[in-house]
Amino acid sequence: MIRLCLLLFCAVFLASAADPPSKTFPFPYTQEDLANGLRLVTIPTDSPNLVSVFIVVQTGSRNEVEPGKTGFAHLFEHMMFRGTDKYSPQKYDETLKRAGAASNANTSSDRTVFHTTFSKEDLPTILAMEADRFENLKYSLEDFKTETGAVLGEYNKNSANPGSKLEEILADTAFDRHTYKHTTMGFLKDVQDMPNQYDYSIKFFDRYYRPEYTTIIVAGDVDAKQTRALVEKSFGNWPRGSYHADIPVEPKQQGPREAHVDWPSPTLPLLTIAYKGPAYSDASKDSAALDVFATLVFGQSSELYQKLVVREQKLDSLGAGSPSSVDADLFTINARLKHVEDLPAIRAEILAAVKRFQDELVPADKLEAVKKRERYGFTMRLDNSESVAQTVAEYVALRRTPDTIDKLYAQYGQLTPEDLREMARKYLIESGRTIVTLTGATAAGAGK
Amino acid sequence: MKWLLFVMVFSVEAIAQMRIVALPGKSPVVTLRLVFTTGAARDPEDKPGLARLTAEMLTGGGTKDLTYNQIVDAFFPMAASVGSQVDLEMTTFSGATHVDNLEAYYKLFRSMLLDPGWREDDFKRLKDSAINSLRVGLRGNNDEELGKEVLLSELYRGTPYGHYGVGAVSALQRITIDDVKQFYKQHYTQSNLILGIAGGYTPAFLDRLKKDFGALPAKDSAPALAIRPPAIAHTHAMIVEKNTRSVAYSLGFPIDVRRGDPDFPALLVMQSYFGQHRESGGRLFQRIRGIRGINYGDYDYIEYFPRGGLVLEPPPNVARSSQAFQIWIRPAEPPQAAFTLRLAVFELNKLVKEGIPQEDFDRTKEFLSKFVNVLTKTKRAELAYAIDSLYYGIPNYNAYIKDALAKLTRDQVNAAIRKHLRADRLQIVAVTDHAADLKRQIVGAGPSTIEYNSPKPAEILAEDKIVGAFDIGLRAEDVEIVPVEKVFE
Repeated sequence: MIRLCLLLFCAVFLASAADPPSKTFPFPYTQEDLANGLRLVTIPTDSPNLVSVFIVVQTGSRNEVEPGKTGFAHLFEHMMFRGTDKYSPQKYDETLKRAGAASNANTSSDRTVFHTTFSKEDLPTILAMEADRFENLKYSLEDFKTETGAVLGEYNKNSANPGSKLEEILADTAFDRHTYKHTTMGFLKDVQDMPNQYDYSIKFFDRYYRPEYTTIIVAGDVDAKQTRALVEKSFGNWPRGSYHADIPVEPKQQGPREAHVDWPSPTLPLLTIAYKGPAYSDASKDSAALDVFATLVFGQSSELYQKLVVREQKLDSLGAGSPSSVDADLFTINARLKHVEDLPAIRAEILAAVKRFQDELVPADKLEAVKKRERYGFTMRLDNSESVAQTVAEYVALRRTPDTIDKLYAQYGQLTPEDLREMARKYLIESGRTIVTLTGATAAGAGK
Repeated sequence: MKWLLFVMVFSVEAIAQMRIVALPGKSPVVTLRLVFTTGAARDPEDKPGLARLTAEMLTGGGTKDLTYNQIVDAFFPMAASVGSQVDLEMTTFSGATHVDNLEAYYKLFRSMLLDPGWREDDFKRLKDSAINSLRVGLRGNNDEELGKEVLLSELYRGTPYGHYGVGAVSALQRITIDDVKQFYKQHYTQSNLILGIAGGYTPAFLDRLKKDFGALPAKDSAPALAIRPPAIAHTHAMIVEKNTRSVAYSLGFPIDVRRGDPDFPALLVMQSYFGQHRESGGRLFQRIRGIRGINYGDYDYIEYFPRGGLVLEPPPNVARSSQAFQIWIRPAEPPQAAFTLRLAVFELNKLVKEGIPQEDFDRTKEFLSKFVNVLTKTKRAELAYAIDSLYYGIPNYNAYIKDALAKLTRDQVNAAIRKHLRADRLQIVAVTDHAADLKRQIVGAGPSTIEYNSPKPAEILAEDKIVGAFDIGLRAEDVEIVPVEKVFE
């Protein structure tokens, strides 16, 4: 069915160059809500014998509202593998093994995703086992403390990369009150204090691992009706919760900010220029316009990239973008320099490019090329059930439905050069700007 | 619908043979994957990095007619590109395009591979990028990948495998554009080419592809590779010293088993039981992270597996004629680091002595028989695995694994473990801030201790005493400390 759908999509796409955009997400799907608030999205594809189950919990580091508790959503992703009375961690692993499953999980600011890809005959077993841990997770104080060691280990393996440190400082500098002030990994002091937070962890589970926060995506060689019956049977008795996080509202930034990181080892200088951008939206042009702006002004085929990376070779890399977040988040421009002495000039060039496209319009043909690229790129990545489920999971984390994909691409389709200029004028302003630089102990790289 | 796999041998002339792997289908995406069975093992001794730089010049530089900027611009609306991957014995060029754009895409693809522009400014940029990837990407930012690559270079020291594919800084600075042209001329030949294609292309398109790449020189004049890794007389450790928070380890030794050999399926079961990549059910993971909470994960390998920190499934088309058994211990806090190393070798010793339990054998076999479908879930992966199967001279990978597992017994696995694995004569690589301290803690019989943040069962505490005093056979004279600035420099 994938192939058929893609061909249909292709026909639609070709015919629609001048027409209003129609369906971008090419797969028919079923979306249903259980009485307890759990949502199920079933997407049959033609991946023979394989099924991907993605369970999206709309809880991430954004939900870490209490001080001293940063990194908890991520810790909880780990705790979900610590077993129940019925399935010990060992039995859980053994069952996954019997299913030949590839399984993992990840956490970001807005969501935690648990995913498994396996043979279709094991769907009833996997769903029953997943329901059991979402409803009946049970771990001892000892197990909790042991798992915090693994989380510290994850912090350690990330800490070798200066980019992680820059990200941490950027968030902390740019935000005052909103929980986007900390990264998903959390502050080191909070990660080190995690072993003392057992009681809070129970509270966290009770608040957020609830059906109304959760969407199950099942993609692959599946039947929607049978899947619904299986999910109803396994998850139907999971009680709805009542907690609503009071996410602090970020006050309007009143002026430009700056920070610098001294990295203790040799490394190439990093420069990040960030602005307070919009929240994800499929109902307005704001986030779509800034996405396209990022590609046109700082992407690989932009004038600036070709000048600084390809011709003058002052930069090792250049890119920009914003993360599609539930609340207003940062639009960032990231550059890695070859020579530290170029920092002031590169900073000036990037700021000049932002300024230029607040005055001038981007060429219309370039804008059309980006639109084409976005849609071809989107279609080509949906080449198996896992990537279909993964793509849908990203959008479900934001709007709880794949419908948002078509709405978003409709926004892309309607963008004009004037829209891009307007959004640059609205968001990429000095009073909402934060600049962070990072330089190594001594110079490194090819230039020295 | 099950897609048919056509493996054809296409003779251009008597001496030259280009091999074709074609997976026709109705998908609107056409995938091209051209693998040359040449790579970093062909780097001249004084110019490591040449093979990779050559491939980079094709995919990251201009052609005779177009500058690199023009190529990027032309690909842009198609959301397409051509990627390259260079390993020791395989150089892969891959890309995909919507069938709408096939003509325009292929025109670029063809000229990038067959009519390179060899421009000096592209060369300088790509050389800088290679040096930065060594100094910053690997040595500066990625202790774990650094440990793995140092391990492999050490295991094959003095052989064509004994260097890192990206090269060494001083060698990269020496390489000239003429070296690159010469490498291309000698090794990018029909006899080295496996031409892979999948998706909704026409037979006429495939004919055109064959004809175009039939313009390459017929044969590579290089003699066949014969990789004989040096024997390890005593367990040896190389400690790479750098400013970092924790201690990352890789350890192992070469094995005389590769895909297609009789013991390969048995060792595959062992590998999965002992430490399936990025899964929590492996023995190493359970004993080090699951029970003791020491680090983020612990895995083992019987084939090369680059970029393991980033990917969950093994990257295909890194086939090698010699493989190594490797254990990857993710960073541990310095006070627990010595104990962690002893624990990993203790578990390896136990595996060699006791083998795999029956229940685990049954489960692992079932896992691998199904997991193979996950590995080949995309057309792209199916194509890449088919190319590897051609290299190793085995049938379709899924059939090969399923058939072999169906016949495999636990005794065969345990015999293969005893035959090919050992817990002595290891090469160990550690990346840490305090090399002298670590050296002192890991030589001899310890004891190394561990403290926990929560009570542990009595049997674990008792095992900790045994592990802490477990002598991994490392003598002080067999420990080498190297500052990170010297690695791959």
